[in-house]
Formats: sequence, structure tokens, C-alpha cells
Amino acid sequence: MDLVFAIGFQVMSGVATLLITSLGLAIIFGMMRVINLAHGEFLMLGAYAAILSAREGLNIWISMLVVAPLVVGGIGFVVERFIIRRLYGRMIDTMLATWGLSLALIGAVTMVFGNTVAGFSAPLGSFAIGGFTASAYALFLIFAAVVLLGGTWAILRFTAFGLLARGTMQNAEMASALGVSPDRVYAATFAAGSAVSGLAGALIAPFSGVVPTMGAAFIAKSFITVITGGAAMLAGTFSASSLLGTVSTLGTFATTPVFGEVMMLAVAIVLLRLLPQGITGRFFRRAL
Amino acid sequence: MKFLIEIAGASVVVIAAILVLPRFLELFALINATVYISMAVLALSLALVWGFGGILCFGQAAFFGLGGYSYAVAAINFGDTTYAIPVAIAVPALMAAALGYVMFYGRISDVYMGAITLTLTLILFNFVNSTAGDQWRIGAAPLGGFNGIPSTPPLNLPGDPGNPLPPESIFAIAAISLLLCYILAKFILRARFGRVIVAIRENERRAELLGYDARAYKLGIFVIGGAMAGLSGMLFANCVFVSPTMFSLFYSGQIIIWVMVGGLGTLVGPVIGAILLNFFTTWAGTLPDINPSLILGAILMLAVLVVPRGVLPSLTTLLGRLRGAGDAPGDAA
Amino acid sequence: MTALLATEHLTMRFGGVVAVDDVDLNVADGELRCLIGPNGAGKSTLFKCLTGQIKPSAGRILWRGRDITGLESFEIARLGVGIKTQVPSLFDGLTVLESVRLALRREARERVARARAMATLEQLGIADLAQHATALLAHGQRQLVELAMVVAPAPDLIILDEPTAGMSAEETARAAHVIRALNASHAIIVVEHDMPFIRAIAKKVTVLHQGRVLMEDDVASVLADRRVQDVYLGKAADASLKVIA
Repeated sequence: MDLVFAIGFQVMSGVATLLITSLGLAIIFGMMRVINLAHGEFLMLGAYAAILSAREGLNIWISMLVVAPLVVGGIGFVVERFIIRRLYGRMIDTMLATWGLSLALIGAVTMVFGNTVAGFSAPLGSFAIGGFTASAYALFLIFAAVVLLGGTWAILRFTAFGLLARGTMQNAEMASALGVSPDRVYAATFAAGSAVSGLAGALIAPFSGVVPTMGAAFIAKSFITVITGGAAMLAGTFSASSLLGTVSTLGTFATTPVFGEVMMLAVAIVLLRLLPQGITGRFFRRAL
Repeated sequence: MKFLIEIAGASVVVIAAILVLPRFLELFALINATVYISMAVLALSLALVWGFGGILCFGQAAFFGLGGYSYAVAAINFGDTTYAIPVAIAVPALMAAALGYVMFYGRISDVYMGAITLTLTLILFNFVNSTAGDQWRIGAAPLGGFNGIPSTPPLNLPGDPGNPLPPESIFAIAAISLLLCYILAKFILRARFGRVIVAIRENERRAELLGYDARAYKLGIFVIGGAMAGLSGMLFANCVFVSPTMFSLFYSGQIIIWVMVGGLGTLVGPVIGAILLNFFTTWAGTLPDINPSLILGAILMLAVLVVPRGVLPSLTTLLGRLRGAGDAPGDAA
Repeated sequence: MTALLATEHLTMRFGGVVAVDDVDLNVADGELRCLIGPNGAGKSTLFKCLTGQIKPSAGRILWRGRDITGLESFEIARLGVGIKTQVPSLFDGLTVLESVRLALRREARERVARARAMATLEQLGIADLAQHATALLAHGQRQLVELAMVVAPAPDLIILDEPTAGMSAEETARAAHVIRALNASHAIIVVEHDMPFIRAIAKKVTVLHQGRVLMEDDVASVLADRRVQDVYLGKAADASLKVIA
């Protein structure tokens, strides 16, 4: 019984981590058809923002939940202005340019902070159910994933900005004919997606450790989760991270982390063979 | 005619380099030059796959690393390096065949291809990194985890494993390999296979409506590219030794940068791009407080934003215009 | 006699929409057949099924009696079917001669292939374009280059999707002439909705309406048919039809 609990909890926290670390990329890809290959470095910057402000004496929760998304959202705004905007409609070029950005950010952060692992221990301690002890922070991550997903859905569904964003996503020309500036919507969307990535980086920092190269561990998984999810970004990210997160966690549990990743890639490839448009190309098509 | 002149020109340059450079370069510089040449072979492989085949492969480093590791493992087990060379070419080629079959016959789009090749590279990176410890060995060869295989043996004369070749010979072998790969690529592109490949890059649907099986052609060029990358990994392993960084995103990114800077749709461009950029990053690495990643990343961003056609082709066009020559050398291969 | 190309109960559904509904079509060797119908009648879906771009939901496609349902585009092309798309689909990075040479897939001898490609270009009156880059050609020239690529390997059947789209009246008349000449040596299926053009070339016409075959007869009877006038042209176009008929 305890083992079932333990595995179930591991799976849920694996899924939550995948979802949190993919959501920023999914928002940007879903709304703008832009693949941001510097996504992993946005996570890294979020982690650094959190750890540095916590070291300056700021409350750890404020550092993670407020400072990290604000800083990375701001960086995203600048990146959109100077790089992404010049390359709209050129998907491959955007991928190449953001890959360049990714390398440049790794280099720049290494120059400033050095290539050493910084870290902070997970707040909240641990809790026990029966004979099984788990980190309370992992429980918090699951909670955070639910809140992030629900919050993004609510913003898109109920707010004026969400309506503008969905309208622009459906038909940019029509939206601009109605007086909405697609440039501004894209800028805001990219900044928002970056902010979510920054928050994600701060949230996973206690588990992953903070190094300039930490993004590499996440970019491929996020990338493959987002395209496996398909066009509907929230339903897609949710279903893909549930499936792939479960597969990789169970694979890791049964053997080694590397084998978990291999299983995840294998499942993703099989899925893309069966559903070339991703999961939401076939199911939940009307979802957000 | 132009075809023969280009091949003759390349041969002269390579032979001159083999004759001259070892006299002037110190040992360390000569080994570095050999590394650059192995990188040039790698650039050539992606120039074929991406520049001519139009296949966006983010994971050319995977074949590079596989080639290096296959060579090291095979050479340690055989005790003689001769038959390790075909292994270093065959293993990445087989991997490319399996991966390419899944991607092309599954008719997966560009973005998905990028995601899959990238993920595969990272998985290999993580896998090799996790092979520290004595249980991870293939035959007599320990994989060594993040330390790699420091005992990677250098090439020897066939049948004479006691006599490893000196760096001068390995430099010559690398240079000749580069020349042969270039000539092979020229012949491929001149042959019907190569022209169909270019036609598929230009318009895949039209090629299919004319009766060409685009999947098979793409698979073909992808396997050739994988084999060539494997060879370059073998050459690299001879200068340094194999380690998991061969599979890293840093390498994958660099290969893309060489080809991007050298120009898509040319062969010489990426080769020159690889050699120049390697000189440049090595030099930049000696500067205090400058990280080569920063420079490479900035170059890639600028190349995409300012000169998406490639830096070298744009420069040649510019020079041509300055000389008053009218024709843009757009199709120079 | 076995038909060159036939469909049996061919059906294509997209979700709840039936774009092609139980279509039986028989095209004989050497025939010139027009497929007409208003927008949304299922012409282009049928074209995509016949050319292997999509796989039909039900029914069969037969080539000389052999089931070819679900073959890939390139396999259908290899049977001896030349396909011309609506918007010219060309190799923009190649020259006109190189493009037509590639169309001669089965000819391995370079010299022979080039000579045959040149001959095709001369036949279509565009030999002077041989060394031009296809990317730089005008629309009408692009149409002819694509036609040259389709005709060069001497296919048994040519399928043309709206060959006169974007053409002037004069160009349309010339295209009609070219197609009639081609019919001397190839069977042809033309998907079209330009009425004067159909009148100029067609012998037998199949009318599609809402995915089904509405009628199939010689061109004069089809154009005179009341039902065709109603569904195909609507009331606004009645006048023009009378002028033609």
C-alpha cells in the first residue's frame, strides 16, 4: 500500500515538474507558433533570480513567486523586441536565433556567476503518510502546477487580454482590422510565457540545483512535450505531460533515469507517428 | 569543367597543407589543426544533410559522438585500430538509418524532426554521462561516465598495433579524409541522386508527383551524413579522447553555426566556417573573462538576423559587386 | 474493356462532412474527360484522392483493373500518371531544362534525357527558356514549364487541376489547343469550371454536385441540362450559359 502511494506520488510530482517546465514554452508556441530554444535558459535565469534575491535577504517565497517571473518576463519582453519580432513567420530561423540566444546566455551567466552549482534547500520539510515519507515541497509543486494551469486557463477564458490573445492567435489580420495591435499582443504573450518559464525555473531550483547549463536538462523534454501536445496549448500540455511524465517516472522507477528518458522519447515518437498533429490535433480539439 | 577545377583546387590546398603545415607548426598547434579538420568533416556532413537535403538535424553531434565512442570501444577491444575505422563509420550510419526511417517514413514535419534529433542527442549525452563505474564496459573498454575514455588509442599501421602513428601522420590522414569527403559530396551532388535530393529540398510534392520516393532519398542523404559525422568523430578521437561533451548541445549548436555562417547550399562555405570559427573560439578562449559560448551564440543570432543566406556567400557577393562582376555566385558548391 | 482509371464507390469523409460520396468514374484509354462542378462539389477532394495525396475513407481506385487505393503519390506517378497542380508546383532553385530532365525519371542516360527534355520544351514552344531559372519566370511560363514536366515522361494519363486558373482569354484558348493536341497521345482528365474552356475541349463531361455524380454525358447534353444549369451556375449565370450553349 505504501509502495503504491510512493509510486503514485512520484508520478504526480514527475508530471507536475514536466508540466511546470513546459508551460512557458507551450504558451509561446501555442499562441505565436514560435519555438523558443532559449526556454531552458529562461528557466535558468528564473532560478538565478530567485536564488540571488533570496541571498540578498528577501523572503524565499517572494523571491521565487514574484521576483523570478518579473525578471524573466522583462528579459522576454526585450528578447521579443529585438529578436523574435524580426523573424515572425520564419519558424526555423526563430529556432536558430533562439538557440544562439541560449548559447549566449549560458556564456554570459557563466562569466558572471562562474560554472559552479549553487542551490537552496527545499523549504517546507517533509510529511509522512503511513510508513512513507515525502517532501512537502514536492506536494507544493503539484499544487503549483494545478494553479498555473488553471490560472492560465482562466486568464485566456475570462479576461479581456485573454480574448484579445485568442483572437489574434486565430486570425491576426482580422484582429488588427478590429483595431487590436498584433505586435502588442505578441509582445505581451512572449513576456507572459517567459515569466511563466522564469517562475518554473525558480520552482524547480531546489530540486535541480542552479548552474548556467541547467537548461539543457529541460529544453528537450519541454520541446517534445509541447509538440506531442499539439495545437491546443493547455489541454495539449496537460495531456502530454501527464502521459510522458508518467512514462518517464515509471521508467526511472523501474530502471534508471536515462532509461526513463529513452521510454519517454520512444512513446513521443510513436505518438507523433500515429497523431502527426499531436494529441490535441485529434482529441480535445476545441479546448484551449 | 568547373567541377574538375574545384576538385583539383581542393586537392592542391590539402596536399600543400600536408606538406607545409607539419614543418611550421609546433606539436600542440598541429594537433589543434587536426581537430579543426575533423570539425570541417563534421560541418561537411551537416552541409549535405541540411544545406542540400533540407533536413533540419539538430543532432549531428549524436553521430559525431557515436563515431568517436564506437572507434574507441572497437579499437580497445580489437587491440588494432584498423577495423575500428569501419565500425566508427557503420555504427552512426546504422543509427541514422533507424532514426531517419522513423522520421521520414513517418512523414514528420521540420519542427518535430528538430525536437526528435535534439532529444536523442541529449539522451545519449545523459546516457554516456551515467556510465561511470565498472559495470559499464563494452568488452575490454570501460565507458567511463563523464570522464570519457582517456585511453582512446591513436591510429596505428594496419597489423602493427605496437606502433601508434605520430601526430604528423594523423594530421595527414585527417586532411585526406576531408578531401575524400569533399570529393564524395561533389560526386553525390553531381550524380542524379544529388540532383533529386536538391529537387526534393526545393519542392517535395512535385518530386513525388514525378515519381520520386522522397522518403528514400532523404533517408539516403541522412545516412551518408551520419556516416561522415561518424568519421569525423573518429578523427577527433585520435587527437583528443572521447568524452560525453561530444554529444553536448554546445557541439550540436556549433555545427549549426558553422553551416549557417558558411552558407546553406554550399560545401566549401561550412568547411571554411568550421575552421575559421574554431580558430576564433580557440583564440577567444585565451582571453580572460570571455566565455566562448557567449561569442558563438552572438554569432548565430547575428547570422540569422543580419545575413540569413550565410556570412561567407554574402561576403563573396559583396566582393563580386565591388569588383563590378554582375553574377551572384549563388550556386557555388 | 477494362477502364484505364476507374473508381468504385469512392467516398471521402472529413469528420461529419462527406466531400466525395459514392463516386463511380470510368475513364478509358485515350479519353478526354472533364470533371466539373460548383465550388464545394468535391472536385479537388476527388483530385487529391486520385493523385494519392489523401487516402479515401471508402471505395476503391482501379488502374487498368488493378487496385491502387491508398498508394503514395510517387507510386501513382510511376504507374504512368502525370499530374499538374492548380498553382504551378516547380523546382525554383533549378533551371527549366534541369526540371524537365528530372521528370524523365526512368531515363538514366544523361545525353538522351537532355535531348528528350529539350524536345519536349520545343514541342511546347518554350525551348528558349531552357537555361532560365524557374524562380524568375512569369506565371504563364511557369504553367508551361510544369506542363512540360508532366508530359515529358509520356504518361498514359494526364490529370490537370484547373489548368486555366489565372489565365487570360487568349492564354486559355492556347491551352485548349495544347490539351487537344496532347489528347492525341494521352488520356486526359481535366478538373475545371471555366465553361467556354470546357466547351472548347471536352467530349465527355462528368458533373459533380455535393460530392455525388449528378450526370455524365457528352458536353452538349450536359450544358443543355436544366439540373446542371440550376446547381452549377445558379440563376445569375443563366445568361452566360445560354450564350455559350
